[in-house]
Amino acid sequence: MMRRMTKRPERPGAPNARRPRRDRDSLAARKKRTCRFCDAKETYIDYKDEKRLQRFVAEQGKIIPKRITGTCAKHQRQLVKAIKRARHLALLPFVSDTIR
Amino acid sequence: MDTPKRIYETTFIVNASLDDPQVESVLGRVQETLTKNGGTILSINKWGRKRLAYSINKKTTGFYVNIEFEGPGTLLSLLERSFQLDEMILRSLTITLDRKALAARKAALAQAAQAAQAAQAAQAEPPAAAREPLFDERPEGAKEQP
Repeated sequence: MMRRMTKRPERPGAPNARRPRRDRDSLAARKKRTCRFCDAKETYIDYKDEKRLQRFVAEQGKIIPKRITGTCAKHQRQLVKAIKRARHLALLPFVSDTIR
Repeated sequence: MDTPKRIYETTFIVNASLDDPQVESVLGRVQETLTKNGGTILSINKWGRKRLAYSINKKTTGFYVNIEFEGPGTLLSLLERSFQLDEMILRSLTITLDRKALAARKAALAQAAQAAQAAQAAQAEPPAAAREPLFDERPEGAKEQP
Protein backbone atom coordinates (compact mmCIF):
# COMPACT_ATOMS: atom_id res chain seq x y z
CA MET A 1 0.00 0.00 0.00
CA MET A 2 1.54 3.21 -1.12
CA ARG A 3 0.59 6.18 0.91
CA ARG A 4 1.27 9.72 -0.02
CA MET A 5 4.11 10.62 2.30
CA THR A 6 4.22 14.33 1.78
CA LYS A 7 1.38 16.36 3.06
CA ARG A 8 -0.76 18.16 0.59
CA PRO A 9 0.01 21.84 0.56
CA GLU A 10 -2.50 23.82 2.49
CA ARG A 11 -4.91 25.51 0.21
CA PRO A 12 -6.74 28.58 1.35
CA GLY A 13 -10.34 27.87 2.00
CA ALA A 14 -9.99 24.16 1.49
CA PRO A 15 -8.45 22.41 4.46
CA ASN A 16 -7.02 19.02 3.59
CA ALA A 17 -9.02 17.13 6.14
CA ARG A 18 -12.19 18.36 4.57
CA ARG A 19 -11.29 17.26 1.12
CA PRO A 20 -14.34 15.34 -0.02
CA ARG A 21 -13.11 11.85 -0.78
CA ARG A 22 -16.57 10.74 -1.57
CA ASP A 23 -16.45 12.48 -4.92
CA ARG A 24 -13.59 10.43 -6.15
CA ASP A 25 -15.08 7.18 -4.93
CA SER A 26 -18.45 7.78 -6.43
CA LEU A 27 -16.85 8.77 -9.68
CA ALA A 28 -14.95 5.53 -9.74
CA ALA A 29 -18.10 3.64 -8.96
CA ARG A 30 -19.97 5.33 -11.75
CA LYS A 31 -17.29 4.90 -14.35
CA LYS A 32 -16.94 1.18 -13.97
CA ARG A 33 -14.96 0.27 -17.04
CA THR A 34 -14.87 -3.12 -18.58
CA CYS A 35 -12.39 -4.57 -20.99
CA ARG A 36 -13.65 -3.89 -24.49
CA PHE A 37 -12.00 -6.97 -25.85
CA CYS A 38 -13.59 -9.17 -23.22
CA ASP A 39 -16.96 -7.60 -23.95
CA ALA A 40 -16.54 -8.37 -27.62
CA LYS A 41 -15.28 -11.87 -26.77
CA GLU A 42 -12.17 -11.11 -28.73
CA THR A 43 -9.41 -13.69 -28.60
CA TYR A 44 -6.84 -12.16 -30.91
CA ILE A 45 -5.86 -8.55 -31.36
CA ASP A 46 -4.62 -7.97 -34.86
CA TYR A 47 -1.83 -5.52 -35.59
CA LYS A 48 -3.31 -4.85 -39.03
CA ASP A 49 -6.42 -3.33 -37.56
CA GLU A 50 -4.92 0.10 -37.12
CA LYS A 51 -8.22 1.91 -36.71
CA ARG A 52 -9.02 -0.08 -33.66
CA LEU A 53 -5.53 0.21 -32.22
CA GLN A 54 -5.66 3.94 -32.64
CA ARG A 55 -8.21 4.19 -29.88
CA PHE A 56 -5.71 2.79 -27.42
CA VAL A 57 -3.00 5.22 -28.35
CA ALA A 58 -2.83 8.76 -27.04
CA GLU A 59 -2.62 11.70 -29.38
CA GLN A 60 1.12 11.74 -28.96
CA GLY A 61 1.32 8.13 -29.99
CA LYS A 62 1.79 6.74 -26.50
CA ILE A 63 0.07 3.56 -25.45
CA ILE A 64 -2.69 4.40 -22.99
CA PRO A 65 -2.33 2.51 -19.70
CA LYS A 66 -4.92 -0.08 -18.88
CA ARG A 67 -5.93 1.73 -15.72
CA ILE A 68 -7.40 4.40 -17.96
CA THR A 69 -8.86 2.32 -20.76
CA GLY A 70 -10.03 -0.45 -18.45
CA THR A 71 -8.56 -3.20 -20.60
CA CYS A 72 -7.85 -6.39 -18.69
CA ALA A 73 -4.26 -7.50 -18.20
CA LYS A 74 -4.53 -10.37 -20.62
CA HIS A 75 -5.77 -8.21 -23.45
CA GLN A 76 -3.51 -5.31 -22.61
CA ARG A 77 -0.49 -7.54 -23.17
CA GLN A 78 -1.83 -8.56 -26.57
CA LEU A 79 -2.76 -5.02 -27.37
CA VAL A 80 0.72 -3.73 -26.59
CA LYS A 81 2.23 -6.33 -28.85
CA ALA A 82 -0.15 -5.45 -31.65
CA ILE A 83 0.57 -1.74 -31.28
CA LYS A 84 4.31 -2.31 -31.38
CA ARG A 85 4.00 -4.43 -34.49
CA ALA A 86 1.84 -1.80 -36.12
CA ARG A 87 4.45 0.82 -35.28
CA HIS A 88 7.16 -1.20 -36.92
CA LEU A 89 5.14 -1.26 -40.13
CA ALA A 90 4.46 2.46 -39.93
CA LEU A 91 0.76 1.86 -39.45
CA LEU A 92 0.93 3.76 -36.18
CA PRO A 93 3.37 6.49 -35.26
CA PHE A 94 6.02 6.15 -32.58
CA VAL A 95 5.67 9.86 -32.01
CA SER A 96 2.87 11.81 -33.57
CA ASP A 97 3.61 14.47 -36.16
CA THR A 98 1.90 17.15 -34.14
CA ILE A 99 4.38 16.67 -31.33
CA ARG A 100 7.41 16.61 -33.59
CA MET B 1 14.82 -34.36 -41.56
CA ASP B 2 11.66 -32.43 -41.49
CA THR B 3 11.18 -29.26 -39.60
CA PRO B 4 7.57 -28.84 -38.57
CA LYS B 5 5.59 -26.59 -40.83
CA ARG B 6 3.86 -23.64 -39.38
CA ILE B 7 1.73 -20.86 -40.72
CA TYR B 8 3.45 -17.51 -40.91
CA GLU B 9 2.37 -14.13 -41.99
CA THR B 10 4.58 -11.54 -43.52
CA THR B 11 3.80 -7.95 -44.31
CA PHE B 12 6.20 -5.78 -46.22
CA ILE B 13 6.28 -2.30 -47.59
CA VAL B 14 7.40 -1.79 -51.17
CA ASN B 15 8.68 1.55 -52.35
CA ALA B 16 5.56 3.27 -53.63
CA SER B 17 7.38 5.42 -56.15
CA LEU B 18 7.63 2.34 -58.35
CA ASP B 19 4.85 1.84 -60.85
CA ASP B 20 2.55 -1.13 -60.65
CA PRO B 21 4.42 -3.58 -62.93
CA GLN B 22 7.58 -3.00 -60.92
CA VAL B 23 5.74 -3.57 -57.65
CA GLU B 24 4.42 -6.78 -59.17
CA SER B 25 7.94 -7.88 -60.04
CA VAL B 26 9.08 -7.28 -56.44
CA LEU B 27 6.10 -9.30 -55.28
CA GLY B 28 6.98 -11.99 -57.79
CA ARG B 29 10.50 -12.21 -56.40
CA VAL B 30 9.14 -12.66 -52.89
CA GLN B 31 6.74 -15.35 -54.06
CA GLU B 32 9.59 -17.11 -55.77
CA THR B 33 11.72 -17.05 -52.61
CA LEU B 34 8.82 -18.55 -50.72
CA THR B 35 7.89 -21.30 -53.13
CA LYS B 36 11.45 -22.27 -54.03
CA ASN B 37 12.38 -22.88 -50.43
CA GLY B 38 9.63 -25.22 -49.44
CA GLY B 39 6.89 -22.77 -48.62
CA THR B 40 3.35 -22.69 -49.87
CA ILE B 41 1.51 -19.43 -50.22
CA LEU B 42 -1.91 -19.45 -48.64
CA SER B 43 -3.04 -15.96 -49.46
CA ILE B 44 -1.74 -12.71 -50.84
CA ASN B 45 -3.37 -9.54 -49.76
CA LYS B 46 -2.40 -6.29 -51.41
CA TRP B 47 -3.40 -3.34 -49.30
CA GLY B 48 -2.10 -0.95 -51.93
CA ARG B 49 -0.50 2.42 -51.44
CA LYS B 50 -0.85 3.82 -47.97
CA ARG B 51 0.55 6.78 -46.14
CA LEU B 52 3.22 5.81 -43.67
CA ALA B 53 2.76 6.97 -40.11
CA TYR B 54 6.33 8.21 -40.19
CA SER B 55 8.85 8.52 -42.98
CA ILE B 56 11.06 5.53 -43.78
CA ASN B 57 14.11 6.30 -45.91
CA LYS B 58 12.63 9.75 -46.54
CA LYS B 59 9.50 8.23 -48.08
CA THR B 60 6.03 9.00 -46.88
CA THR B 61 4.01 6.43 -48.78
CA GLY B 62 4.41 2.73 -49.28
CA PHE B 63 2.78 -0.17 -51.04
CA TYR B 64 1.74 -2.74 -48.46
CA VAL B 65 1.58 -6.44 -49.20
CA ASN B 66 0.53 -9.12 -46.76
CA ILE B 67 1.26 -12.77 -47.46
CA GLU B 68 0.19 -15.76 -45.44
CA PHE B 69 2.27 -18.84 -46.03
CA GLU B 70 3.09 -22.19 -44.67
CA GLY B 71 6.58 -23.55 -44.53
CA PRO B 72 9.53 -24.83 -42.55
CA GLY B 73 11.22 -22.53 -40.05
CA THR B 74 14.39 -22.47 -42.12
CA LEU B 75 12.50 -20.53 -44.75
CA LEU B 76 12.21 -17.51 -42.50
CA SER B 77 15.88 -16.62 -42.38
CA LEU B 78 16.07 -16.85 -46.15
CA LEU B 79 13.02 -14.69 -46.53
CA GLU B 80 14.26 -12.07 -44.09
CA ARG B 81 17.58 -11.97 -45.85
CA SER B 82 15.95 -11.45 -49.22
CA PHE B 83 13.95 -8.60 -47.71
CA GLN B 84 17.12 -7.03 -46.38
CA LEU B 85 18.85 -7.27 -49.73
CA ASP B 86 15.99 -5.91 -51.75
CA GLU B 87 16.35 -2.16 -51.84
CA MET B 88 12.80 -1.69 -52.98
CA ILE B 89 11.44 -3.15 -49.77
CA LEU B 90 11.35 -0.52 -47.10
CA ARG B 91 10.20 -2.56 -44.15
CA SER B 92 8.97 -6.03 -43.37
CA LEU B 93 7.45 -7.92 -40.49
CA THR B 94 7.13 -11.67 -40.32
CA ILE B 95 5.22 -13.29 -37.52
CA THR B 96 4.35 -16.83 -36.58
CA LEU B 97 0.63 -17.24 -36.23
CA ASP B 98 0.08 -18.56 -32.71
CA ARG B 99 -2.87 -20.53 -31.50
CA LYS B 100 -5.08 -17.51 -30.96
CA ALA B 101 -4.17 -15.97 -34.27
CA LEU B 102 -4.86 -19.22 -36.04
CA ALA B 103 -8.27 -19.45 -34.41
CA ALA B 104 -9.02 -15.88 -35.46
CA ARG B 105 -7.83 -16.63 -38.99
CA LYS B 106 -10.00 -19.70 -39.20
CA ALA B 107 -13.03 -17.77 -38.03
CA ALA B 108 -12.34 -15.01 -40.54
CA LEU B 109 -11.97 -17.51 -43.35
CA ALA B 110 -15.20 -19.24 -42.41
CA GLN B 111 -16.98 -15.91 -42.32
CA ALA B 112 -15.55 -14.91 -45.69
CA ALA B 113 -16.61 -18.21 -47.21
CA GLN B 114 -20.09 -17.77 -45.83
CA ALA B 115 -20.28 -14.22 -47.14
CA ALA B 116 -19.09 -15.35 -50.56
CA GLN B 117 -21.66 -18.08 -50.59
CA ALA B 118 -24.40 -15.66 -49.62
CA ALA B 119 -23.26 -13.23 -52.30
CA GLN B 120 -23.23 -15.97 -54.86
CA ALA B 121 -26.69 -17.12 -53.86
CA ALA B 122 -27.96 -13.56 -54.00
CA GLN B 123 -26.42 -13.10 -57.41
CA ALA B 124 -27.78 -16.36 -58.74
CA GLU B 125 -31.32 -15.83 -57.50
CA PRO B 126 -32.63 -12.63 -59.12
CA PRO B 127 -31.68 -13.28 -62.76
CA ALA B 128 -33.19 -16.76 -62.65
CA ALA B 129 -36.44 -15.34 -61.40
CA ALA B 130 -36.38 -12.33 -63.71
CA ARG B 131 -36.12 -14.06 -67.05
CA GLU B 132 -38.08 -16.92 -68.53
CA PRO B 133 -36.03 -20.06 -68.85
CA LEU B 134 -34.94 -20.51 -72.47
CA PHE B 135 -35.02 -24.24 -72.07
CA ASP B 136 -35.44 -26.70 -69.28
CA GLU B 137 -32.51 -25.63 -67.11
CA ARG B 138 -33.09 -28.09 -64.33
CA PRO B 139 -30.45 -30.73 -63.86
CA GLU B 140 -30.94 -34.05 -65.57
CA GLY B 141 -32.42 -35.87 -62.59
CA ALA B 142 -34.91 -33.15 -61.75
CA LYS B 143 -36.62 -33.08 -65.15
CA GLU B 144 -39.09 -35.81 -64.40
CA GLN B 145 -41.04 -33.67 -61.97
CA PRO B 146 -43.42 -31.15 -63.56
